[in-house]
Amino acid sequence: MFLTRSEYDRGVNTFSPEGRLFQVEYAIEAIKLGSTAIGIQTSDGVVLAVEKRITSPLMIPATIEKIVQIDKHIGCAVSGLVADSRTLIDHARVECANHWFVYNQDMKVESVAQAVSNLAIRFGDNDSDGPAMSRPFGVAMLFAGVDKSGAQLYHLDPSGTFLHFCAKAIGSGSEGAQQSLQEAYHKSMTLDEALKTSLSILKQVMEEKVSSTNVEVAVITKEKGFTRHPQDEVEKIISAL
Amino acid sequence: MFQANTQIGDYLVDEHGRKIKLHFDHGTTTLGFKFQGGTILVADSRATSGQYIGSGNVRKIIPITPSLLGTMAGGAADCTYWERVLAKQCKIYQLRNRVHISVAAASKLLANMVYQYKGYGLSMGVMIAGYDKKGPGLYYVDNDGSRMPGNLFSIGSGSIYAYGVVDSGYRWDMTDEEAHDLGRRAVYHATHRDGASGGIVRVYHIKEDGWTIISEDDCTDLHWRYQDEKMASSSQ
Amino acid sequence: MSAEMLAMSEYGRDPRKHHFSPYADNGGTTIAIAGDDFVMVGSDTRLTNYSGILSRNQTKVFPLTEKTMIASTGCWADVLSLYKDLQAKLTLYSQEHHDEMSTPAIAQLVSTVLYWRRFFPYYVSNMVIGLDEDGSGVVYHYDPVGHMEKLRFSSAGASVAQIQPLLDNQLGALNMKDAVPPKVTKALAHQLMHDAFISAAERDVKTGDSCIIYTVTKDGVAEEQVKLRRD
Repeated sequence: MFLTRSEYDRGVNTFSPEGRLFQVEYAIEAIKLGSTAIGIQTSDGVVLAVEKRITSPLMIPATIEKIVQIDKHIGCAVSGLVADSRTLIDHARVECANHWFVYNQDMKVESVAQAVSNLAIRFGDNDSDGPAMSRPFGVAMLFAGVDKSGAQLYHLDPSGTFLHFCAKAIGSGSEGAQQSLQEAYHKSMTLDEALKTSLSILKQVMEEKVSSTNVEVAVITKEKGFTRHPQDEVEKIISAL
Repeated sequence: MFQANTQIGDYLVDEHGRKIKLHFDHGTTTLGFKFQGGTILVADSRATSGQYIGSGNVRKIIPITPSLLGTMAGGAADCTYWERVLAKQCKIYQLRNRVHISVAAASKLLANMVYQYKGYGLSMGVMIAGYDKKGPGLYYVDNDGSRMPGNLFSIGSGSIYAYGVVDSGYRWDMTDEEAHDLGRRAVYHATHRDGASGGIVRVYHIKEDGWTIISEDDCTDLHWRYQDEKMASSSQ
Repeated sequence: MSAEMLAMSEYGRDPRKHHFSPYADNGGTTIAIAGDDFVMVGSDTRLTNYSGILSRNQTKVFPLTEKTMIASTGCWADVLSLYKDLQAKLTLYSQEHHDEMSTPAIAQLVSTVLYWRRFFPYYVSNMVIGLDEDGSGVVYHYDPVGHMEKLRFSSAGASVAQIQPLLDNQLGALNMKDAVPPKVTKALAHQLMHDAFISAAERDVKTGDSCIIYTVTKDGVAEEQVKLRRD
């Protein structure tokens, strides 16, 4: 794929003569090694469903955390280098808390994505604003939340680009999953349908057999805010697939 | 802690004879105590600037988290601002650690924050109260960075009166109702004797499942209620 | 150094202390009254420095958004500087978040901005007035370092000690046996505000000349000026 690779893939902020930033492109490639994560926006709320790769029977599945809470009304699913995401997640949490502190209101999902994007594109940018990451962050994130404009789903990639989606898949199974989402998605989808759809697509794209221990599901609604979907509920949906 | 200070005229003087600018928590009565059934916080609602009553409706008991409360005495803006900073820190702590912050940790965060500003003239004398896995918690924190746990505190110009009432009726094994009544009476009597305290007596109770507002009564209504009680008992 | 020179220089004199005060009290009074679907705010238009009158036609109420205003009195330099600061922050917010800031958000922002100057405060008494997200009127009152209180009516500035008791009695019906607070209509709010300014102008040297009354509704801001004593 990168036959034109040259010395231009060394400096993280050096354009190639063709106008490309190779390190950013490689970081986007890194996401495709990550586990699959799916987000679906409905009028009642947003569903996040993530595959957990259990690489050893001795591993405790509950310690894998790929869906995290950002604020009471926002959750986030990640794929790629999960360790990199921790910095970005903490930044998102602090931004939300500061927004509450200054304005006494919930931060909009778009604003959170913007705030995290601002940090994500500061790589290689050590200056008076303080130290920065030396390379692009190798994660893609799905920000799901409910704000004054309703349920919202935003996708952010290592280039700092963030876009609003009705439904989005990231990670290794994303190509197939995105295709399936396009076929399954409709505007009047209910939250329950979205839950079912996300898990059935995960079932299709996952290498392992899907179960309630190797997926993580969260729902964000106006009424309850961010809630993790209990394991027995997930089990019920999976067994009905 | 204040024993090294002696009062000469209007000024406090330290052991070298230097004048000490002493804040004292004026215009307030706040009270907090632990007992068998949790933690009770009670406060009046008067805010004064000089002789003028700026407000008779202040909320001097501030929510920090669903299981933590803070009180206000001293500078109103100092207390509300720093307890809001604390609330923000507690939100972030909860997300990072997936557990609610303990009363000890929260009060220490606040004490450390204001200690950074020691000598800058902040004026706060607050209680941080809550419920955590160690049970009911109550800490006193002030602007010179003091922080101490305790079973009973009262802060503000009316505290001397509130202490008098509370000390005469306090027992660890009070029922919830007895505790609410004792706290309410203590602050009512403080508003009666202290000109800088008054307005509404608010009673809060913190239990394992969080805090609730027990009552909010106008001092005037309480006055006549207690007066009637006294008449009834003396005529028996 | 000659004897004359020595006498003229600072060295030859008794020690004296030079005072500098960064603050001036330029007076002015503001009143705000909220209704179910409107909020009315007024200020007198006199600007003073000690007993000198700097202006007879200066409002102390400024627009922040379509449905939010701020009323500020005290040190005029600080009033202007605070207003500029808030305008900049509001512009930045609307550009960053693609949305106009709501009245409750502005209310919290003002509190925070005032506290950020805790150790060199804006010497200003503020009220933020506007319509909240449900369209009903709200009044927020501040002390100079940002302690905030949400109210249905309030006054601030030079004549607060004369006007607030009137509002407490007429609008709050406070401490009156069997009295109920009236339904606040535009007519009542306007009449009361006008009377309050007339009374303040009668007894307070820092209040007078005229008053400007702004009525904020969902349709916009209406403005009206009424004359007061000019002595």
